[in-house]
Amino acid sequence: MIQITDLEKFYRTEEVQTIALNKLSFGVKEGEFVAIMGPSGCGKSTLLNILGLLDDPDGGSFKFNGEEVSGYNERKRSELRKHNIGFVFQSFNLIDELTVFENVELPLIYTGVKPAERKKKVEAVLEKMQIMHRRNHFPQQLSGGQQQRVAVARAVVNNPKLILADEPTGNLDSTNGNEVMDLLIDLNEAGTTIIMVTHSEHDAKYSHRIIRMLDGQKVTENILA
Amino acid sequence: MIKNYFKIAWRNIVKHKVFSFINVIGLTIGLSASFVIGLMIYYDYTFDNFHKDGDRIYRIVTDFKESEGEFYNSGVTLALKGAIEENSNFEATSEFYRERPMKVENRASDLEFKLPKFVIFADQDYFKIFDYKFIAGDNVKALHNPNEVILTKERALKYFPNTEVSEIIGKTLVYNDSVNTKVTGIVENFKGRTDIVFQEFISYPTLLQTRLRENIIKKNWNNTNSNSQLFVKLKANADLASIKSRFKELATEHADEQDIKYGQERIFQLQPLEDIHFNENYGIYDWTNGQASKSLLQNLVFVALFLLLLGCINFINLNTAQATQRAKEIGIRKTLGSTRKQLMGQFMGETFLLVIISAVLSLLLSRWLITVFSDFVPAGLSFELFKAPIVVVGVIILLVLVTILSGFYPAIVLSKFNTVSVLKNHLGVGDKKVGLRKFLTVFQFTIAQVFIIATLLVGKQINYLLSKDMGFKTDAIVSVYKPIEEGSLEKIELYAEKLTSIPEIKSISLGGPPPASQSSNITDMRRMIDDEEIYGDMQLLAGDTKYLDLFEIELLAGRVYRNDTVRELVINEAARKYFRFKSPEDAIGKTLLYEKEYLPIVGVTGDFHQSSLRSDIRPMTLRGDWYRGMWTYFQATHISLKSDSPENLKNSLAKIENVYKDVYPESDMRLEFVDEAVERFYKREKKISKLLNWSTGLSILISCLGLLGLVIYTTNRRVKEIGVRKVLGASLLQINTLLCKEFLILVAIAFIVASPIAWYGINNWLQDFAYKTNISFWVFLNSGCAMILFALIVISAKTLQAANANPVDSLRSE
Repeated sequence: MIQITDLEKFYRTEEVQTIALNKLSFGVKEGEFVAIMGPSGCGKSTLLNILGLLDDPDGGSFKFNGEEVSGYNERKRSELRKHNIGFVFQSFNLIDELTVFENVELPLIYTGVKPAERKKKVEAVLEKMQIMHRRNHFPQQLSGGQQQRVAVARAVVNNPKLILADEPTGNLDSTNGNEVMDLLIDLNEAGTTIIMVTHSEHDAKYSHRIIRMLDGQKVTENILA
Repeated sequence: MIKNYFKIAWRNIVKHKVFSFINVIGLTIGLSASFVIGLMIYYDYTFDNFHKDGDRIYRIVTDFKESEGEFYNSGVTLALKGAIEENSNFEATSEFYRERPMKVENRASDLEFKLPKFVIFADQDYFKIFDYKFIAGDNVKALHNPNEVILTKERALKYFPNTEVSEIIGKTLVYNDSVNTKVTGIVENFKGRTDIVFQEFISYPTLLQTRLRENIIKKNWNNTNSNSQLFVKLKANADLASIKSRFKELATEHADEQDIKYGQERIFQLQPLEDIHFNENYGIYDWTNGQASKSLLQNLVFVALFLLLLGCINFINLNTAQATQRAKEIGIRKTLGSTRKQLMGQFMGETFLLVIISAVLSLLLSRWLITVFSDFVPAGLSFELFKAPIVVVGVIILLVLVTILSGFYPAIVLSKFNTVSVLKNHLGVGDKKVGLRKFLTVFQFTIAQVFIIATLLVGKQINYLLSKDMGFKTDAIVSVYKPIEEGSLEKIELYAEKLTSIPEIKSISLGGPPPASQSSNITDMRRMIDDEEIYGDMQLLAGDTKYLDLFEIELLAGRVYRNDTVRELVINEAARKYFRFKSPEDAIGKTLLYEKEYLPIVGVTGDFHQSSLRSDIRPMTLRGDWYRGMWTYFQATHISLKSDSPENLKNSLAKIENVYKDVYPESDMRLEFVDEAVERFYKREKKISKLLNWSTGLSILISCLGLLGLVIYTTNRRVKEIGVRKVLGASLLQINTLLCKEFLILVAIAFIVASPIAWYGINNWLQDFAYKTNISFWVFLNSGCAMILFALIVISAKTLQAANANPVDSLRSE
């Protein structure tokens, strides 16, 4: 599903150039659950941003479903993203001014789904995430675990082929963290490809494969299942 | 999606109450001003737009070019119509004469109406040019014969109450006791707004039965009277150039010898119908509500524009300053698939919602503004005009424009956020726009500062005008005018005689208007020095022998004329200098040629102002009442009171009115205080001052609110810095200074920019006045200090609160 080859990303200031990704190559098959680990600053999040088409690489190739997407313009990236990719962030990134229902509904609005169908889909996913009873609450009225469940609901409501999770349990206690990981496992078992960046060895164990990075390069790759 | 946008917009408005309030207030003020001023423009520009072929209807007017300048007359010589009616460029030419009858009677019903307004003697082509709807009578033969009259429905029902319109035809109206007319037609009053306000149309040949008979028969080429009006309707293919050249030929052919000698030129002009409403040179027919002024409308448009701009600037400033707070939402939306276009649409939608809220408030406010600005708003203008489709479209366009002006830039800034950066909380966008916000704040305060300086200087000039010595006594003098329809001198003399018994009165004088008035009577006089002739215009002032004494006008040499009818002149210093008499004494005994007669100068007075201080003092002569056999110049009884204490004034006026009722039992007393009449010269200036006061207040309000918004934002951002500084020992004053400094610098820059702009504007405005106040340095200094003080109060309200906060609270949240 994903194939990156010699991927490079640099950050430049006036005086210094920092290498975030240094000729990184690996592939992810459809239905896989891959965890990416490494110390802070090793390029994990940069990689996730590029995989999520939020950022451009400076060199190398990035193929999504066999198609080279690294040269896509903003509009094409946005199209590809909204139909294929769901995001889960460490800090949940829910919109404070929208209710739970409205937050989850948002990706459907951007993909042009009709209101009646939207309602059906949002309610189904909220039921599935066991957060239906909070549908009219605002994010700040929920606990961290509940907020992340909403974020996961939002990420999957569009049935994306790929979910990118950036330390999804980083802001949660262990009970809530485990619940979120269970949700991701369920999704993966239902066929969704998941790439997760994490510092937690515990969470990484849920995945099929762990890629460890250092200074923008892949150092090891462990296959767990 | 739209619903979602509006939902989030509404929640944002509610969440950021202070900023929303500031935005809404600014936009509401700007929009209210724009609505009211827009209505005024619509009102004034839709006069006479309903006439059939209105674009081909013109009034012919006369301009006079002389060495002293250009003079304008809305009338033409009575001879002109005959000279142009055969011209192939005209479809119709119609002349009419405005003559207000003393009275009109419906004798059959024993009804009498005094001084009916809007009566004209019109020729048969009048109804070919103006398309009235006849509801009774015949418009084919209308006004062909003498002694016919056509009435509007309104007037007909007034003269013939409780009578069917069709029954009024054939009835008789008698004008001025002797002119019998038969009603031959009744027309609908025009439905649209119009300056063609006439209500009674007497057939033109009937003029031969009035005092104007001689003039009508003679049709003198060299007599131009503004009552003699000439309208034409051009053919569709008319050649304007050829009309102009024909007009020029006629003016040259019939030029007066004197005019040629003194280089005076007469020009006949075509004035488009639509121009009548605005052109102050020629005037309108109904002065009740004053004439519309394009320059006033222009000034008002500027005021509205500035206020609207100030509101938009607040919006831009606060939204770009707050941008970082919206960054997360933008990042998420982009991640979830929103395009930049969609985000811009969302922010523009939010702006539009805020503009709509402001517009609704503005509509409510406009009703009130129409009352507050009644001095500027035409009397016929009502809130109902908002229902006109074109006004509705105009309002929508304005709202869209304001949305774009306020929302476009913040929308660009917000939608430009880099998704990765905002999700990582690496933001700097709000700060990058600081330069622009500073510029806009300076711009706002420049406008407010210009308004403040202008207000102070206009106020100073008005003070100067009102307090400057007019050169004659103005207080405790009242002028009582005899009834217009009353021609007899005996009665006014009787009135003056009876007044002498009132002990509160100091002195009484009969005369024309007071020394300074709106009316002027000008004639030409000459002086011969050997072979050289000095020729010039003289203002004429009529008064009895006590006139100078009553108004305390200083006599520099000579005396007043011996009695009220002797042909002697008392001139002023300006006339003495103009006619080159070496000294006041030198003028005494010399003569001036006036109406083919050499009249002796018996006295020379000091100069005094004859009108507003806009004009210079002109050569003037005081004269008696020579023509009292035929008519009298003495229209007014000037009464000097011993004291103008309120109690005395009340008593005296009651007694003066009682005497008036004795002498003129059927008339209401018309009286004017001289000092109030002088004040009225400056009605226009007072209007400008009122407008400026409001504009200044509102612009300060909007600008300071905007500043407050920025200060709140900046202070909130620096709350940790303030905490650290306090922990390190900074005093309240030091912190306040730190926070205030950057804003006060902006206000100070605005002052530097505003000063020359205000100086230039006011200096230009003052050029209209012959006598003007100084543009003093202290005015600028005061206004600058005032603005800085305002800003300091506004800023300190927030910064002191921040500086006073316990640093532990702000640092704990780290």
